[in-house]
Amino acid sequence: MPEKLDVKQGTLALMILKTLEVLGPLHGYGVARRIEETSKNQLTLNYGTLYPALLKLEQEGYVTAEWGQSDNNRRAKFYSLTAAGRKQLARETRDWVKTADLIAAFLAPPQQA
Amino acid sequence: MKYGRATFARIAGVFTKDRAEDDLHEELQAHLAMETAEYIRRGMRPDVARRQALLASGGLTGAAESVRAQRGMPWLESIASDVRYALRALCRSPVFTAVVVTTLALGIGANTAIFSVVRAVLLKPLPHRNGERLVYLRHSMDGPSGANVLFSVPEVHDVRSGAPSFSGVAEYSPWFNTIHADSDAIRVDVGLVTGNFFEVMGLAPVRGRLTRPSDDGPDAKPVMVLTHDFWMKRFHGDAGIVGRQLRLDGVSATVIGVVQSAPFFPDRVDALLNMVISPHHLSAQMVESRMHRMTEVVARLAPDASVEQARHEVAEVTARMLRDNRGLYNPTSHHRVTVIPFKEAIGERARLTLWLLMGAAAFVMIISAASVANLTLMRGVHREHELVVRAALGAGAMRLRRLLLVENLVLTLAGAAMGLGLAFWGVRLLASLAERYSTRANEIRLDGFVLGFTLGLSVVLAVLLSFVASIPKDGTYTAVISAGVRRMGGSIRKQRLQRALVVAQITVSVVLLAGAGLLTRTMIQISEVSTGLKAEEVLTMEVPLLNPARFDTASDDRNKERYDRMRREIRALPGVIEVGVGSTMPLRITQLEFDVNAEVKTYTPGRPRPRADWRTASPEYFRAAGIPRLSGRDFSSADRVGSGLVVIINKTFADMFFPGADPIGKRMAWAGEVLRFTPVSGDWRTIVGVVGNTQDGGQDAAPRPVVFAPFAQSYALLGGLVIRAGSDAAALVPDATRIIRRIAPDAAIDNVMTVAQIKEQSVSPRRLNAALVSSFGILAVIIAAVGIAGVLAFSVSARTNEIGVRMSLGADSGRVQRMILKEGGALLAIGLVCGVTSAYFAARVIRGLLFGVAPHDPATFIGVMVTMTVVGMGACWIPARRAARIDPSAAMRSA
Repeated sequence: MPEKLDVKQGTLALMILKTLEVLGPLHGYGVARRIEETSKNQLTLNYGTLYPALLKLEQEGYVTAEWGQSDNNRRAKFYSLTAAGRKQLARETRDWVKTADLIAAFLAPPQQA
Repeated sequence: MKYGRATFARIAGVFTKDRAEDDLHEELQAHLAMETAEYIRRGMRPDVARRQALLASGGLTGAAESVRAQRGMPWLESIASDVRYALRALCRSPVFTAVVVTTLALGIGANTAIFSVVRAVLLKPLPHRNGERLVYLRHSMDGPSGANVLFSVPEVHDVRSGAPSFSGVAEYSPWFNTIHADSDAIRVDVGLVTGNFFEVMGLAPVRGRLTRPSDDGPDAKPVMVLTHDFWMKRFHGDAGIVGRQLRLDGVSATVIGVVQSAPFFPDRVDALLNMVISPHHLSAQMVESRMHRMTEVVARLAPDASVEQARHEVAEVTARMLRDNRGLYNPTSHHRVTVIPFKEAIGERARLTLWLLMGAAAFVMIISAASVANLTLMRGVHREHELVVRAALGAGAMRLRRLLLVENLVLTLAGAAMGLGLAFWGVRLLASLAERYSTRANEIRLDGFVLGFTLGLSVVLAVLLSFVASIPKDGTYTAVISAGVRRMGGSIRKQRLQRALVVAQITVSVVLLAGAGLLTRTMIQISEVSTGLKAEEVLTMEVPLLNPARFDTASDDRNKERYDRMRREIRALPGVIEVGVGSTMPLRITQLEFDVNAEVKTYTPGRPRPRADWRTASPEYFRAAGIPRLSGRDFSSADRVGSGLVVIINKTFADMFFPGADPIGKRMAWAGEVLRFTPVSGDWRTIVGVVGNTQDGGQDAAPRPVVFAPFAQSYALLGGLVIRAGSDAAALVPDATRIIRRIAPDAAIDNVMTVAQIKEQSVSPRRLNAALVSSFGILAVIIAAVGIAGVLAFSVSARTNEIGVRMSLGADSGRVQRMILKEGGALLAIGLVCGVTSAYFAARVIRGLLFGVAPHDPATFIGVMVTMTVVGMGACWIPARRAARIDPSAAMRSA
């Protein structure tokens, strides 16, 4: 079994927002599956990480939640992106790209610089 | 914005918890179901799939907890849950809770009530603008009634010109007047003040204006400022009062304003007037004579001056004054002027009593806190198991500490709530006590500051209590849990603490009991002092007829004639035995006191000048009042204007001026410069009788030398009626009032009191004092007794096993009982020693409140020790009996 990574602080919110942007309204299970798949199962999300993050986004007004029917006719809570959420996603994406570039440059082997 | 919104959502989350909780449960279950379905789809057996899904979830409970933490205010909720838990735990031990809450309520209630009085009377800043810059000047000298001799106008001028530390020096002369209204007349206490008085005092008007320097001098119009209390009481806060004319003893004065509510000193007053209302205050005598002292002085410190500086300057002024007027100031009288911050001066009379009560209340607090601490310790042992289990389940030390703190807070706050109820009731009682000592008594209330004090007290107590119980340490859980039983006894440290607390309780009880004993004996001594009057069905009524504005012989004759008519008509009422007329009522202090010369013993240079009280009496006065004649004769109707001047003296006067000799037939004369300002002459008068002493200054005052002149031979100053009845003197009030009103419709009738009531006035504050400290003492002893019994009972149950062993080895029940009694007796003995030692010093502190009993009064101390020993041993006896009844076989088996 490959070593699993913990979700880095602050990145989970971004992943959730991105997932919702790509897939539209989705329940918690769907979000978790999508994130795990996207990370090629390097990440696992237990409930204790996922649901507080979803609730936090909801409290901040970036997502809204609504009860609905899942594919297999199960009652589930669907999360969807709000306008504020979209703006936040754009902002955070920009920040992350910048940070990632910076870190990559920083960590690059010196001889290649 | 984002933060605000999230916070709002979280706060909302606290209140929408139940619905959110259902939602969360459903959401998590849905997740689990979908995951399980997915595993099944991949080919797992349903039970394996569900197990796998659960594993992947990372624990549903933990997840729910994390969400909850995000949802609301986790600390708030956990405190709420702590409070719920504490309430449940306390409801499970109702006896413990009731005892603790009641004990705390008594302690907190007593402290809150007394603190509210201490704050209002002694601590609270004065309502005056920059009240801390206000000082009171007191002029004192050696000799009888020299403690406060007031100032003469020239003396005030000396201070005013010689002390630049004062930005203002104001004069205030206590006076009284009768206000004549349409239907009745009332006596009012007024102050005659200089125009700068209110400016110096830092007081503002609530209506109209106050006096100002232009109101000084003989050409000003008489103006009047009402005090707030009088305005409310007499005019019901009528705003239209400003501008009205009031008639005071025939002179009309304009009400110019109402001053803000503020305490006056030395006594409360109804109104303040400019000096012009009293011609006497503007006369040359008043303004020019150094010896004519009628003025109180208040001053305001200049912005950069200190009290020390002012004291220094005033001392210099006084020294210069004595140097420049050698003939006037007797060097042996040691004239001195002290500068006292106004707030201190106002609190002066109340200070010792109030700190005594505050101290007693603090002791009650100590003892109730010690008792509650002990109860908590004992309960803590029973709860050790529970706390360990909680610790093992993951509650950290902080969490457990907080749990205990919350529990103790619930207890102390409940105690405080109940205590406030007690205090609310107690404050009214205390306010009536404080009225006797301070003009600030009307400021007493349970205000925010006092509530803060109570709250602070409760929190401090709760914190202390939660550190009394010990928290299980890491790594000891298993041992305790596996022991599986409630371990009794606790550690040695804890037992020591319990014992120390019991000793403290006994110590404090002994101190309080000693205080209670001394004050009770004081009260009894005071009420047992004979008033000097025979039988006390005597009614007194002050009816001053003299109009200070018309000071002439014609009106004096008319007044005397009216007094005589009153006397005769009241005498004719059924049930009246005798009626006398005199300047001053028996048991009341006279306002007039002069230097004395007497034959044989005249003034000796180098000694304070002897003085005596001046009074007048009609021939019937002594019989009506019940003042016994010791020798000589009564006045008779033959002693009148034109006949030889005669006087009757009291025993103190006789002993002072004619020691060992018969004073009858000897002569005395009034002396001193002050006589010039009075209608009293300095002629020699023959002593015709000696009467017994009466307690004129109150039951605890030393008797004063008194000289009575015949009412008919003197000016009718002051004046009142003494009415002796066969039974129930108070029942005569309506009839007597009606007669007086008919004869003198414009006269004020004041201080209508029976002699018993006058006596009660000087006894009742002492009684209240003694009753308060006694009830504190009794409370303390009860709490201490319960404390001793509790600790011993606890020790017995902890030692059940040991006692069983001892008994099976041959100790009989008597021996076991003695063993326990000895344990308690040791605590009691230590407590008694500490208590008696502390009480000895405490009694010296309250020496000033004692009368007729020494601070180390052996009878009181022995009584206290016997009481404490009896109660203490009684408390030991109950657990000792229980120990003696232990069945050895059962005790050992249960171990």
